[in-house]
Amino acid sequence: MKGKYYLLLTLVATLVLLLGLVGCTPAADDTAPPVNGEEEEPGPEFDGEIKIAVTGPMTNIQGEMMWWGATMAMEEINEAGGVAVGDEKYSIRLIQVETDEIMDPLGAVSAVENVIVSEDPDFLIGGFRTEAVTPYTDLVARDYQKIFLICGAATNELLQGRVDEDYETWKYLFRVTPIRSTDLVRVTMLMLHEVAMAVREELGIAAPKVAILAEALEWNEALVQGAPAVYFPQLGLEHVGTFRPSATASDVTTELRGIEASGAHIIYTIMSGPVGIPFGKQWGELEIPACPVGINVEAQKSGYFPATDGFGDYDYTLNTFALNANITDQTIPFMTKFMDKYGQVPNYNADTYTAVYLLKEAVERAGTMDTDAVIVEMEKTDRVGPAGRIVFDEIHDVIWGPGYVTAVGIQWQEGDLVACWPYEWRPDPQNAPDLVVGFDGVVPYQIPPHVLRQWRGE
Amino acid sequence: MNLIRIALRYIRNEILVLPTRVIAILFVIGLLVLPLLTQDMYILRILAIAAIFAIYAASWDLLSGFVGQVSFGHALFFGVAAYTTALLNLRFGISPILTIPIGALASVLVGLLVGIPCLRLKGPYLGLATLAFPIMLMGIIFIFPGFFGGELGISGITRLAAARLNEYYIAVVFMLILCFVMWKITDSKVGIIFHAIREDEIAVRASGINTIKYKLFAFCLSGFFAGLAGGLYTHFLRIAGPSMLAVLMSFQAIIWTIFGGVATIYGAVTGVFILFPTLEILRTFSDYRMLIFALIVLLVLRLMPQGITVFVRDKLERECPRCKVRNVFTRKECRVCYSSMK
Repeated sequence: MKGKYYLLLTLVATLVLLLGLVGCTPAADDTAPPVNGEEEEPGPEFDGEIKIAVTGPMTNIQGEMMWWGATMAMEEINEAGGVAVGDEKYSIRLIQVETDEIMDPLGAVSAVENVIVSEDPDFLIGGFRTEAVTPYTDLVARDYQKIFLICGAATNELLQGRVDEDYETWKYLFRVTPIRSTDLVRVTMLMLHEVAMAVREELGIAAPKVAILAEALEWNEALVQGAPAVYFPQLGLEHVGTFRPSATASDVTTELRGIEASGAHIIYTIMSGPVGIPFGKQWGELEIPACPVGINVEAQKSGYFPATDGFGDYDYTLNTFALNANITDQTIPFMTKFMDKYGQVPNYNADTYTAVYLLKEAVERAGTMDTDAVIVEMEKTDRVGPAGRIVFDEIHDVIWGPGYVTAVGIQWQEGDLVACWPYEWRPDPQNAPDLVVGFDGVVPYQIPPHVLRQWRGE
Repeated sequence: MNLIRIALRYIRNEILVLPTRVIAILFVIGLLVLPLLTQDMYILRILAIAAIFAIYAASWDLLSGFVGQVSFGHALFFGVAAYTTALLNLRFGISPILTIPIGALASVLVGLLVGIPCLRLKGPYLGLATLAFPIMLMGIIFIFPGFFGGELGISGITRLAAARLNEYYIAVVFMLILCFVMWKITDSKVGIIFHAIREDEIAVRASGINTIKYKLFAFCLSGFFAGLAGGLYTHFLRIAGPSMLAVLMSFQAIIWTIFGGVATIYGAVTGVFILFPTLEILRTFSDYRMLIFALIVLLVLRLMPQGITVFVRDKLERECPRCKVRNVFTRKECRVCYSSMK
């Protein structure tokens, strides 16, 4: 028994240490924020402060981006004189809430309740992992009746089936970024169409073959089922197989060899997890003759190119911002300032920047901090931000489409991350043949050179 | 009147004479009167969840600490009950009064399903086999996302009670009753057989006891209590998600119990009530939260390898070498048989 006991004890000690090391990541940045509740008195020129809690996995890049985006907006607003609430001027104070929702999604609810009880923030923004965001938006709306602007989770059901079915309970929830899941699908299909057109034109293949490489997670299930059944035939594409590696897989050579054997010309990727890096590296190393397009969250980051040793070049993925895409007149200044300040390209979570501005403007229009009055003004939002024109629909989701928020398609081209979609996009050729959507600076999509070489037999 | 007199005598002679029992009584009274001192929603939440997790950790102790059937996949019982409870409530509108026990019964069934193939396995083989089951169930959840909600989980469930205070009392009272029941089980004839199986299963079998029956019983019993915890947690959080089946969930029960003191039941409760709030407090050190937590656990285990409750108990009390009754450490002679305590 004693031997067994010590064996168990050793095992527990090892587990504890491993959990500790896994949970401990290096400090985010020197600009890292004050943690929960650290007081920052409003300056003498302000009559009070508006407290905004930013909730997210703060030791992960998603949470850091949320914090950085919100911080930039807070600094700009406070420097410009704060928020006018009636006749008074308020400063904004952010409160960082470490939800640790990637590791412990259900524990995140406690972190959110802690900040509500101890700090009584006026508003909350953030939220990343849907399993965590579902119960904590429930808590915020149902129990505390506070306005929460979602800035990270795309799942439709966070608003659909809530705001539309029981408005009084859920009216406190809005989503600022990203666009909802179904719109993400729509954009990737447009990008896929663009790649298919390039394959047709440059390789002379009338019906390109497409393989799906999707991480084995539920959020993409509808896409994995729906794309080959509904969208591929519409786009004149032939589906040749679906491959589902784990979201955390470190090796996808089996899947890639399968794709190569299937004769696919295009790989439709749907990956949010770290599997995106081994995919990019091995796809380039093995010279798989198929063009990747779709969602690869890892490829949205500045570190993707070095992380794949350059083999991830020509990966094509959906994103919210791009350095060369002048989506609005605010995009490039926002990105430049963000990169100067934090040394990283902002991802979609960083649009907490816009969320803070939306709150400021709604409060100013309402002239009061009263929640119901601010909700009414939030619903009237029509603001141009770095990602596009933000207008909310009836379920408090951002409207997607030309003239609103469209998202962008970005491709790595010889080590640079450039926007390739929308490039001369005609959203409605039948009814509005003259309507062409594109942003200044967007460049044409390029088929990866090794794919061109192999299909041309060079 | 007689009963009151007997109870008072018992309290005076059996509880107040021993420091650890006084601590336990103070802990129980403290939990019950706490809402008179504060009704802070966050504090009530943390303590209510700690109470639910205490049931869960004690159920692991019942199986692994007492019977020696070390399970690395205890989250299976918790998760099965959570999903059963959630589905019954959401799809059929059944009240938590029924969904929680039905969820626990589903865990009993799963206890049987796991117990039967694992009967012949021992040590690390048993641990690894049990570890596989929640992973398999998680796979099933992802295969049928329409039914189980995939990684989004099942939300929109009825809350445990209308107000946080009521939820707190439900969780705490459940914890006190269930942990007392578990403790009494381990102190009963069945408990002695559980102990014996852990120490020397062959000897127990040689005595004519059907160890297979008892091991299966232990799996079911443990599943039942873990299931009750899973059901309570689901209605408290109003969601059943795949993280309830995650490896971390299984390991948490082990860490809490080993930290508090294995094969004691009250050790598991102590472990949860110390470690769970500690991890919450450490949220303020976001970057180093888990590392600090790990170091605290390692330090305590290094200094108190038998767990914190056993360490404290051995410091405050001693066992009479003759009649085995416990005495406060300052006594020179046993309070029952008057033997010398030296």
